Amino acid sequence: MEGTSREELREILDLADDVADGRLSNPLAGKTVCLAFFESSTRTAASFELAARRSGADVISLSESGSAIAKGESLVDTVVTLDSLGADAIVLRHPAAGAAKLASGYTDAALVNAGDGCGQHPTQALLDLYALSQSFDGFEDLVGRRAVIVGDVLHSRVARSVIPAFQRAGMEVALAAPRTLLPLETDAWDLPVLTSVDAALEWGADVLYMLRLQNERMTGDSPRIPSIAEYGAYYGVARRHLRRGVRVMHPGPVNRGVEISGDVVLDEASLIPNQVAAGVAVRSAVLTLATGVAHEVAA
Amino acid sequence: MTSRNGRSHELVIRHARVLDPSTGLDAVKDVRISGGRVAEVGDDLHGTRELGADGLYLFPGFVDVHAHWRTPGREDEETIESGSASAAVGGFTGVVMMPNTDPVVDKPVVVSGLLRRIEQESRVRAYVSAALHVGLKGERLTEMRLLKEAGALCVSDDGLGTQSAGVLRNAMLYASSAGLPVLLHCEDHTLATGVVHDGTAAALAGIPGSPASAEDVATATALVLATETGAKSHITHISTGLSAALVRFFADHADVTSDTTPHHLTLTDDLISSLEGTYRVNPPLRPEDHRDAVTDALRDGTLDFVATDHAPHASEEKDLPLEQAAPGFLGHETAFAALHTELVLTGKLPLARLVEAMSCAPGRWVGEGGSLAVGSPADLTLVDPSEEWTVDRGSLSSRSWNSPYLGRRLTGRVVGTIVGGELVLDRTGAKFGVRA
Repeated sequence: MEGTSREELREILDLADDVADGRLSNPLAGKTVCLAFFESSTRTAASFELAARRSGADVISLSESGSAIAKGESLVDTVVTLDSLGADAIVLRHPAAGAAKLASGYTDAALVNAGDGCGQHPTQALLDLYALSQSFDGFEDLVGRRAVIVGDVLHSRVARSVIPAFQRAGMEVALAAPRTLLPLETDAWDLPVLTSVDAALEWGADVLYMLRLQNERMTGDSPRIPSIAEYGAYYGVARRHLRRGVRVMHPGPVNRGVEISGDVVLDEASLIPNQVAAGVAVRSAVLTLATGVAHEVAA
Repeated sequence: MTSRNGRSHELVIRHARVLDPSTGLDAVKDVRISGGRVAEVGDDLHGTRELGADGLYLFPGFVDVHAHWRTPGREDEETIESGSASAAVGGFTGVVMMPNTDPVVDKPVVVSGLLRRIEQESRVRAYVSAALHVGLKGERLTEMRLLKEAGALCVSDDGLGTQSAGVLRNAMLYASSAGLPVLLHCEDHTLATGVVHDGTAAALAGIPGSPASAEDVATATALVLATETGAKSHITHISTGLSAALVRFFADHADVTSDTTPHHLTLTDDLISSLEGTYRVNPPLRPEDHRDAVTDALRDGTLDFVATDHAPHASEEKDLPLEQAAPGFLGHETAFAALHTELVLTGKLPLARLVEAMSCAPGRWVGEGGSLAVGSPADLTLVDPSEEWTVDRGSLSSRSWNSPYLGRRLTGRVVGTIVGGELVLDRTGAKFGVRA
């Protein structure tokens, strides 16, 4: 996302608007979109598949189980195979950061990163901006808004895409996490580091962007938080935090009662359903731009 | 602290030799205490209550950041009441309680419960160190933010070294987020397999020794991690020359302080030839070269202060062969006298540096006391520098009597301890002549 300009962001979001409003009919007709998911996914895979089908593309879907990936085929060989089959776009999800960049060197198809390890998840950041623009008064209305990314920043590819995306959109961004869930150099992004959701509200947060504890990505055998009770007390959003029009976002999957209490998930302050809903239109726009207009727009 | 009488509003201590390294004062002065604070330091002061202190030293109250008051769980060995009485006898006006109790102080409710008991029972200011890991097991982090909210001053797995550098690093990062300093007992258990210092005395006595490296390796690890994480750290009971040198090296790199104990400054491992359980302690007593290096490090300020590691044990845990005895010494009541006798009177340590190391520096660490500057809490210690006395079992205020100084003749004795303007120890009432 670092290489994406504000104008490019607006172009994608405008195109997503066209898709959502039905002004774009079958833009991917005759195109072949391959979904290569080397790591399990529910909403991202479903969202990309719907986006491609609704835009008229032929879709090939490979998942980790029941494919050559499960038989030990390497990333490069899978990509070469899909390329040879005539893919126009390859949507890649992989457990290691940099996989999308590596794969893009082995295909002429547009390579769309659907999440690579703790690296990047650019379409998540785009759909977040789309959902936020709708919730506020358009993309321009995001300028000067304050967003706090709360929780496991260290292991989050979403954070690594959302931080630059929000900044390009003119938003001010801060982090809230214990040091065990931040990089050792806590000023790696040169952002304020806050100590709790309460501190985030004091800082003036308009958006609380909650992250899941990514236990599956934590390295080493030493625990990074003492208890769910303590984590939730400081880095969980509860009903009492929902005031003055604060928006709550979460990339999913949600762990109710940990980073977000059960009665907040579907509260009107929550944009979580809006984020998921935005995914299809935004990913259609990304695939359209990637195959038709520009190579690798969203990588 | 409870208010033990209603007359604590004003007190003037007259003609004491006031020695306060925090302000640089060293002169015969009068000190007026009012509202629990130092109100005035000057000449010819008077008040409704006066206390003649001719010939006595007046210091900022001693502060001990390392004590085991055995509560909860081993109240037969020490209670908050007896521990604080023992502290007052030693001139300590502030004490930090270590968390290796039963149950371990690893939950916020234990901290708040202890603080309530302290409020009711302690004669001196007492602070609670919570555990760094649940059950002191070096696995799960404690709820440090909730512990801090409950009133914990610091966190420590004291008594046990942390065995994995990865675990310690993570704990340091989390503690720094929680805003709690980490107090570290540095000991590598893969090296510390014996019960005394691995040296000539151990060899001659036939007692398994633990090498100095058991402390040094863990100290180095702790210092490296404190440097990298920036976590506020305190290394307690440094007892070897190399560990002191490591602290010196890292002083400019890490936010670290350190202490050593009265016994490591005054006793050596030749005592183990007695084979008596009394002399088992952890870290173990070391040979003279270590003791001298540690003394030098305390004198030059490399080691910031003295802490006693006051560790009461029941007689059935100490009246045993050395190998089977529990490690630990009483510390509060003999600390000043032993150090005054062995280091100050022998010219190895200036008295002002000893007061800095027993009062000012640890007072700064706990954030309270350690100074006689006007407006400071009136925590003071009065000492008769010439009184000679013999440490004997019957005279101890602790519930236990496992002092390595039993039978020793010491010079210099605490005769008065004042906490928040109240006399909590008044050993020689006649000499004070407090006028109501």
